[in-house]
Amino acid sequence: MSDRKANSRVPVEERLFSLILALLATRNGLTKSEILSTVHGYSQKYSPSGDNSALERQFQRDKDDIRELGVPLETFEPLGEEGNNQSTRYRILPAEYELPRDIRFSRQEASLLNLAALVWREGALSGESRRALLKFKSLGVEIADPVLDYIPRSIVREPSFEPLREALEKNLVTEFDYFKPGETESTHRQVLPLALIQFQGRWHLYAMDANSQERKTFLLRRIVSEIATGSKVIAPPREDSADVGLKELQAVWDRNLAQIRVQPGTDAEVRLLQQQGAKRLDNGLIELHFVDLHILADELAAYGPEVLVESPSELREQVKARLAEVLKLHPVSTGQANGR
Amino acid sequence: MADSSSNFQARDRLTFLISLVPFLIERGRVSVAETARHFEVTEDQVRQSVSLLTVSGIPGVTATYQPDDLFDIAWDDFEQNDEIVLTNLIAINDSPRFSSREAAALIAGLQYLSSLPERSDQDLISALLVKLGKATFGTPSQLAVAEAPTNRAISLFREAVSNGYQVEFDYLNAKGEKERRRVDPLRVESLENDWYLRAWCHLREALRTFRMDRISNVTITDSPLEHHSSEVTMPESLFEGSADDIEIKIELPISATGLIAEYLTSDVVPVGDTGLGQVGLRVSHLHGLKRLVCSRPGLIKVLSPQEAVEMVHEWASEAIGQYSQS
Repeated sequence: MSDRKANSRVPVEERLFSLILALLATRNGLTKSEILSTVHGYSQKYSPSGDNSALERQFQRDKDDIRELGVPLETFEPLGEEGNNQSTRYRILPAEYELPRDIRFSRQEASLLNLAALVWREGALSGESRRALLKFKSLGVEIADPVLDYIPRSIVREPSFEPLREALEKNLVTEFDYFKPGETESTHRQVLPLALIQFQGRWHLYAMDANSQERKTFLLRRIVSEIATGSKVIAPPREDSADVGLKELQAVWDRNLAQIRVQPGTDAEVRLLQQQGAKRLDNGLIELHFVDLHILADELAAYGPEVLVESPSELREQVKARLAEVLKLHPVSTGQANGR
Repeated sequence: MADSSSNFQARDRLTFLISLVPFLIERGRVSVAETARHFEVTEDQVRQSVSLLTVSGIPGVTATYQPDDLFDIAWDDFEQNDEIVLTNLIAINDSPRFSSREAAALIAGLQYLSSLPERSDQDLISALLVKLGKATFGTPSQLAVAEAPTNRAISLFREAVSNGYQVEFDYLNAKGEKERRRVDPLRVESLENDWYLRAWCHLREALRTFRMDRISNVTITDSPLEHHSSEVTMPESLFEGSADDIEIKIELPISATGLIAEYLTSDVVPVGDTGLGQVGLRVSHLHGLKRLVCSRPGLIKVLSPQEAVEMVHEWASEAIGQYSQS
């Protein structure tokens, strides 16, 4: 089509859509040169006699992009032609591309999935959620009107989340500096990411040390450098890492106990008692579970004189230190100029 | 998603195209407006995508994209009635599978929702997780959100609303005052680990936002509901400002502003090259401020008003004093 040729600036989605259609429609696959010379979006830039290396690189990137979107683009070499690069063929098998016919969602399931996608509508995971929602709406299921409106929302704010997830998917060895509270300097870590886990509202990385193979859990908030990934790939252990990592965090939480004296009738009393696993002891103290002592210390400091930490003593010291810092920044009578 | 067309990237537009086709096949005939509503996109986005469809297809035997090789629609219906009917189909017959990332996001979202009563039907959830696994190309990436116990209060709100009755509960505000409130529950909203109830408060005769963890002793009354979420326009933001709010000026490391982004009311003004910045913050009362400042110890320094500085000082000083006595 001549009017197509004239316009060589084809938007990305139009080129990728044409690639998907062409590869879905072919039974025997297309070779790279067939794709570049005929498929809309490539053919406009294809030169039958000249150098097409830029176009070939674009095709490489496009393949990765559509695979990331869940399109099972397949590469194969026809029988008898193995090892010949030129004969590699590409196709998308409809049976693998399409949602299996027996997978359909009820109105009730659809409503829950809709809510699940809404959870991440800001921050990391928002793109994936938005696209998952579009795909799932393609089924045409109407969503049941909820009895009560729900607006669930969780925002992944840690900048390390995206690069870690990328590394996780590609099994890439990853390096970063990690600041452990109580230590004066951050330390350099080299790990294979195994799972990203939100526990008690905070994101953790469950990973395997690249040298010692030891499993470790990191709090994303304490990663103080950029995430560096090389090309070194390690096959992950065959296990449900998210589940193993979650159980380890749970074990730490079960083990760590704090005892807090609270003033009756205060905000601290009401809210701390509602925390998961919180218990009122016979002596009136409230017992709490925690994963990270320093984060609990931040939380308890906010309650000011409504709480008094009885144990562990490290927690007691940390809360005192935090209050002292607040005091230092907020001196009275000497005005605003001092303090920092 | 509905309004954020700028946020709608190439991969979203592509996903929309491959999702639109099976939807149109399923519906047979559907209006542009209905399609836009269903996908929560603009009508223009629908029209643009339909136009793009009509010039899209496969190279075909001639490798020249002949008319038979392209999608086609009933043009009269489209141009005169704003309705879409596909008349020639190419390559796509059914909905696409989820990518491993998309499935992981949905599963993590479902896990996050564990405190909702809707989530308590475990059979439904297990069935849904199995379906998602089958509906995915590859294995969902290793992402998990620890489950929280089902929130009993939300179940009661839900029950009350479905039966049409008001609820009552004890509410402790940040000033430490406890009051019995009677409300029409409208919406349950969450932000990370914190859950909120937005409701019509019969005591204040206004819309109010309640923190779930400050609510206790919930009972369903026999007074009928007076307000329903469909009739009440709720402000977008959870923390709606009011005329009585107090303007606070604070200083903090610029890198830490993200931690309290939802409270900020002005842009951050850098203080030289110290890495610190000054910014405005709005609070409904100083009791909330002192808690906020102490929860980020060493980060936030309140500059003004002086009354706020003193209140923070007292709060921390009284707290630390307890340790020398005990």
